[in-house]
Amino acid sequence: MSTKKVELIVSPATPHFVGDGFRVHNFIPSKFRLDMKRMDPFIMLDYNSKYDFPASENPKGVGVHPHRGFETVTVAYQGKIAHHDSNGGGGIIGEGDVQWMTAASGVLHKEYHEENFSKNGGVFQMVQLWINLPAKDKMSAPKYQAIKNDKITKVQLANNAGEVEVIAGEYKNVKGIASTFSPIHMLNVKLNKGAVANFSYPKEYNTAIVIIEGGIKINNNENAPTDHFVLFENDGENFKIEANEDAVVLVLGGKPLNEPIAARGPFVMNTQKELVQAFDDFNNGKFGYLE
Amino acid sequence: MGESKLIRFLASNIPIVKNEIYQHLETFTVKKVKKGEILLRQGDICSHTYFVEKGLLRYYSIDKKGKENVLQFAPENWFITDRESVFFNQPSNYYINALEDSEILVLEKDFSEKIALKNKDFERFNLQLLHNHIRHLQKRIELLLNATAEERYLYFINLYPDIILRVPQHMIASYLGVTPESLSRVRKELAIKNKK
Repeated sequence: MSTKKVELIVSPATPHFVGDGFRVHNFIPSKFRLDMKRMDPFIMLDYNSKYDFPASENPKGVGVHPHRGFETVTVAYQGKIAHHDSNGGGGIIGEGDVQWMTAASGVLHKEYHEENFSKNGGVFQMVQLWINLPAKDKMSAPKYQAIKNDKITKVQLANNAGEVEVIAGEYKNVKGIASTFSPIHMLNVKLNKGAVANFSYPKEYNTAIVIIEGGIKINNNENAPTDHFVLFENDGENFKIEANEDAVVLVLGGKPLNEPIAARGPFVMNTQKELVQAFDDFNNGKFGYLE
Repeated sequence: MGESKLIRFLASNIPIVKNEIYQHLETFTVKKVKKGEILLRQGDICSHTYFVEKGLLRYYSIDKKGKENVLQFAPENWFITDRESVFFNQPSNYYINALEDSEILVLEKDFSEKIALKNKDFERFNLQLLHNHIRHLQKRIELLLNATAEERYLYFINLYPDIILRVPQHMIASYLGVTPESLSRVRKELAIKNKK
């Protein structure tokens, strides 16, 4: 077993708005070396760093849009999001919650700041990830996993060092609640200043960290500040995180699907033909209808 | 210019893209325009044809009440210009603006004539494009005169498969000559009919 070294520490891009409610820095796929193929199965990562939204009578957000061929995972750190979809589903994603939506064959949905949050305004911070689906599952039925924070498995670290929330995959043999279509680890790691946590993923797993709070040192030698993205080499297995100050980081590790990717807008399929079909189905109302 | 979509577009339609076409294309300028930027205003003389490499342009008029009427969308691989102004030297009645951050090729008004003089394949293809354009305009007149909102919408999604996701619904309604409410109703009815 050898060390999984840091390949790149990526600073956040100039933020842009998704709709009018999400002020995000895109890391995957637009940043250098963070394209879909390299990060497979993580094909998109938008990070809304802490942003203070003023009070608004009309909730800000993103209007109706479709998805097909992947899963969207929303991790809310601060603020609340309300969502609705064309199958009649909906709900509220609160602080510390995770919403795991399997768009698969297709849904229409919309996401807005939750009504009370919007009326009062406040700090908003979240990550939205797109996770690719294996070809055989792309046209399966859509589903939701609304994971409230109290349902997320938590591993307490020794010596009051902090805790690890296991959203998906596992940590120290403790499994997360989310079911996934391919092997994925997704952890919220909360470390007190000076604390250390160790991780080990197979070398082929594409592995990354988003620094949500504080700053960390990786493998004793690489410092990553708040709001940065750390990409690991596909070599070695073990890596170590040390908190330079109280820190929260999102750790991602995923086995690449190694399948062809054909992506356009909100659809991620395997072939151009399937993409054309996705647009055609959307235009013809096969994703349903949502006001 | 090796990466140009225009070169690829021509190469996929003309047996061999001769050197003279490459030579001409190398003289064209690539312009980056920001979302919202206006390339042609009413009253201007339009002196170029634009080819969209990336992004989306819109060709429209503004009537006396201030209402915008969309004549054409131009996504990737489309040409867009005001022919009355560019070929008949009239002040334009129209506007062209960018609906997305775009990259466009700015083509001189006589670009196709110059290439056509040297290359018969291009001349034939260019003529075919013109006929095709007129064919679509004729179809559009017919649809506007006597088709239902649903028939207009179905023709539209065939012509512009990915536009619905890229522009506000009121602009699509304007192109179709229906109210936004009618467009919304058509899409809802289609969804009810076609949802698996």
